[in-house]
Amino acid sequence: MSNFFYVAPEQLIKDRATFAQKGIARGRSILASVYDVGVVMVAENTSASLNKISEVYDRIAFAGVGKYNEFDRLREAGIRWADSTGFTYSRDDVDARALANYYAQHLGDMFSEGPKPLEVEILVAQLGNKFHQTKLYQIAYEGTISDEAHFAVLGGDAEAVKARYAALFSEPTSLDVTLRHAVSALGGPERSIPANELEVGVLEDRGARRTFVRLHVGAISEMLGA
Amino acid sequence: MGLPLFSATQDPGPSFYQFSQAAGVAFPVDVAGAGEGLSAHATTVIAVRFVGGVVMVGDRQATGSYIASRDVRKIEAADQYTAIAISGTAARGMEFIRMAQLSFEHYEKMTNSTLSLEGKANYLSPIIQRNNLTSPLIVIPLLAGWDSSHQMGRIFEYDGAGGAYERHDFATIGSGSPFAESALRLGFRADLDMEAALELGALALYEAGDNDPSTGGPDFVRGLFPMMVVIDAGGYREITNDEVGERFRAISERRTSTGGVPGGTLR
Repeated sequence: MSNFFYVAPEQLIKDRATFAQKGIARGRSILASVYDVGVVMVAENTSASLNKISEVYDRIAFAGVGKYNEFDRLREAGIRWADSTGFTYSRDDVDARALANYYAQHLGDMFSEGPKPLEVEILVAQLGNKFHQTKLYQIAYEGTISDEAHFAVLGGDAEAVKARYAALFSEPTSLDVTLRHAVSALGGPERSIPANELEVGVLEDRGARRTFVRLHVGAISEMLGA
Repeated sequence: MGLPLFSATQDPGPSFYQFSQAAGVAFPVDVAGAGEGLSAHATTVIAVRFVGGVVMVGDRQATGSYIASRDVRKIEAADQYTAIAISGTAARGMEFIRMAQLSFEHYEKMTNSTLSLEGKANYLSPIIQRNNLTSPLIVIPLLAGWDSSHQMGRIFEYDGAGGAYERHDFATIGSGSPFAESALRLGFRADLDMEAALELGALALYEAGDNDPSTGGPDFVRGLFPMMVVIDAGGYREITNDEVGERFRAISERRTSTGGVPGGTLR
């Protein structure tokens, strides 16, 4: 026979939050920022194949920090959701806000009802056009959703990185400058992150339907060096 | 639809078709009368290989018991380096193209890598089989593209049951095939360049349009001409309607000057 002890809901939530935060804090941060003609996402990533940033749809990208298997499953679900929504209705009807809400609901459910909360924090970025706005939706491990107009930082060291980036950011500027600021904010005063340990994804209009591009090491170091 | 999450053992993987079946997104099948009318696919689409790629030519007429439309697109880019053409039931054909286009992109996004051309050809097989063997709404596609790993143009044709066969010279689909094939068999050479392949393809389509009532030839009255497409190392591109028009006008003038007789050499 097992014994069930009473645990106050406050304590339960607190324990679960601490658990999730610890998992997320183990990973490096990701910074996403709007620049003059697009959105750039910058992650510290030593792996060239296990990505943290991904294309979801024509104008939507995904970024995740924390446990890789957990956020990668969310990434896949996002691509499936977007592709089937566009297939059923029209490509113009796929909106990042709906996807961000589904993510928020799922993370919220897992936090309060799942066997354990997901140790992830995710971002859904959308490049605006005449149908949709440029938005950065940030969703925390317990399902809190926020939309940022200019930049967002995910991960354990988010507050410090955000403060450093806020000091550098005044208004959307060129991709080169934005990337340099992002990398310096991620690294902080003591560290400089080499280009081959950066993963950079960009949403920008180039005349094609799909706007997501992954920047190669060469392009990244060129932009950082300039 | 909610967030489509799967456990690792139930996950449909990067295939959009598998996923759409699991999630009930598309393709209700099992219709009465399956397998009937296997030969009814009024159309002519031609694919011809040349040294640096593939040329495709397709007519634009939709035929029921009368001409339903004169400006249908039967060839579409499936992705940057691949084209799909359809013959058969228009509704199913269009859905098939949409499914193929989305599937190749879906795979790319899911895995961060591109499907090989052969992978694309094989991927379509069970979709065609499932459609054609469970419904009377037959679709026979034709797949052509630039294979960047082998640096050559490749053509895959299908039988009614979804079998994929690679063709090293040319392939045709639709009711105008016998007429187009005859011209292609006489005119095809292994060392065709792009210009020669375009000319041969246009001539073969002209023959099909001339003989097959369900294939639309050049329409000089409305200025509507067959679609002509090139896929090479530079990717998929369509020849402009004006350029296609000039090519067909030249063929037509040659024929007019001889009173409709093609002549001893291919004209």
